[in-house]
Amino acid sequence: MLELRDLNAHYGKVHVLRGVTMHVEEGESVALLGRNGVGKTTTLKSVMGLVPPTGGSVNFAGTEISKMAPHRIPGAGLGYVPQGRGIFPGLSVEENLLIGLTKTPPSHITDYVFDRFPRLKERLKQQANTLSGGEQQQLAIARCLVMQPKMIILDEPTEGIMPILVKEIRREIAAVRETGVSILLVEQNIKTALRLCTRVYLMEKGVIVHEASASELENDKETLHRYLGVTV
Amino acid sequence: MELTIALALNGIVWGLIIALIALGLSIIFGLLDIINIAHGDFFMVGTVLAWFVAETTGNYWLAFLIVPIIGFALGALIEYTVIQPIKNAAALSIVATFGLAIILQESVRATFGATPERMLPPIHDTIPMFGIEYEVYRLFAAAASIAAIGLFFLFLHRSKLGTWMRAVRFDPETATAMGIPARRIYLMTFAIGFAMASLGGVVAAPITTVYFEAGVDILPFCFMAVIIGGLGNLGGTVAAAVLLAFFEGVITSFTDPTFARIGSLCLMSLVLMIRPHGIFAGATR
Repeated sequence: MLELRDLNAHYGKVHVLRGVTMHVEEGESVALLGRNGVGKTTTLKSVMGLVPPTGGSVNFAGTEISKMAPHRIPGAGLGYVPQGRGIFPGLSVEENLLIGLTKTPPSHITDYVFDRFPRLKERLKQQANTLSGGEQQQLAIARCLVMQPKMIILDEPTEGIMPILVKEIRREIAAVRETGVSILLVEQNIKTALRLCTRVYLMEKGVIVHEASASELENDKETLHRYLGVTV
Repeated sequence: MELTIALALNGIVWGLIIALIALGLSIIFGLLDIINIAHGDFFMVGTVLAWFVAETTGNYWLAFLIVPIIGFALGALIEYTVIQPIKNAAALSIVATFGLAIILQESVRATFGATPERMLPPIHDTIPMFGIEYEVYRLFAAAASIAAIGLFFLFLHRSKLGTWMRAVRFDPETATAMGIPARRIYLMTFAIGFAMASLGGVVAAPITTVYFEAGVDILPFCFMAVIIGGLGNLGGTVAAAVLLAFFEGVITSFTDPTFARIGSLCLMSLVLMIRPHGIFAGATR
């Protein structure tokens, strides 16, 4: 479904991504893990066209999207939940929710989203910045879902969320996965990543250095410690 | 006393026209981070085009339809050719728009001439108000400005394009990732800013002098309204424009207009010292 081949990206003269190659199959959930500053977020932004790739290719559902205008990429079926949630604070919850749509979504979609996130339905007219961190994250995920994506890219969805709500967010992502939507997840919470995803890529200094199934990696203490500095 | 009332009313009318112009300046700054030195000249182009339409067709009212459309088209063209290439160098925007201001002024001087022109108000009647006879056209100008400002806020808060403009202003990157064509929104915003300033020019043409340097006089006032109202705070800009013009109108009835402007600048300095983000900072944007 999503295939990155030899992807390169620069911030000015700084070479950030140095030939990233990875793929996500249809219906699969994949995690991209690594220490801070290794290029995980840049990889996601390059896929979304927000950091234009300087080399390599990004193929999504049979279409080369690396040359597409960035605002057309969501229309191809790629949803994005940015780091820090990316909620527009001066807009209402409803405006945030429907921001990416030009037409009213079908009722079965809004019903599905409000069934999953009933608190958003109660707060539709409220300014989005009055929501709690957890609710804002729900809104960011719901905003993607109303666009009916084939795949969702999530950048640290549990960052800055109260521990009690992390489980809830995790449950929501798992529920999305069960509907057949592919997932590419960047996450600092290794436990969350390993629970939600079946396959994992490890990244270091702008390159993919290791690929394994989540269950293999969970038991591979040495690799976890070497590349992430943690044990699970 | 009659003079004070007349100048205070004139101040409110001018304040509303300035508010319409300054709103354009404010949205351009808020969304594009462009300090638009040429904004006063967008107003000037509006006054000159209104005068030209009235002279050539004999129908001033036609200018209300034609001039904002021309302003929108010119704004789009300028954004595409001047603003877009310097989008990532905010400091250059001052130099570029200063150059643009000179180009607009000299183009008008070259085509319409350097002689200041006066237009007769299309409505000649007066109406008794607060013990004085007040021009009906000025009341119309105030009503037209209020209607245009109201329509703009309605557009900003009730239309999809308006919602997109607000979203891009907060976070262009995420907005793009949600499928919003941020590049096109920048162009539309600049074009709308020009259209609003030129509409202000049409409204003001019968009560001001039409000449190629008219924008130079109005620009500092627009900036003061934007700064006192709070940078990027649209409601604050409107309120500050009306309050400032009213304040200057009242002062002018007692002393020289220069002292009124000095008073406004002192007021702005005071606001910047006490509330650096403007009087209305923190209010709903």
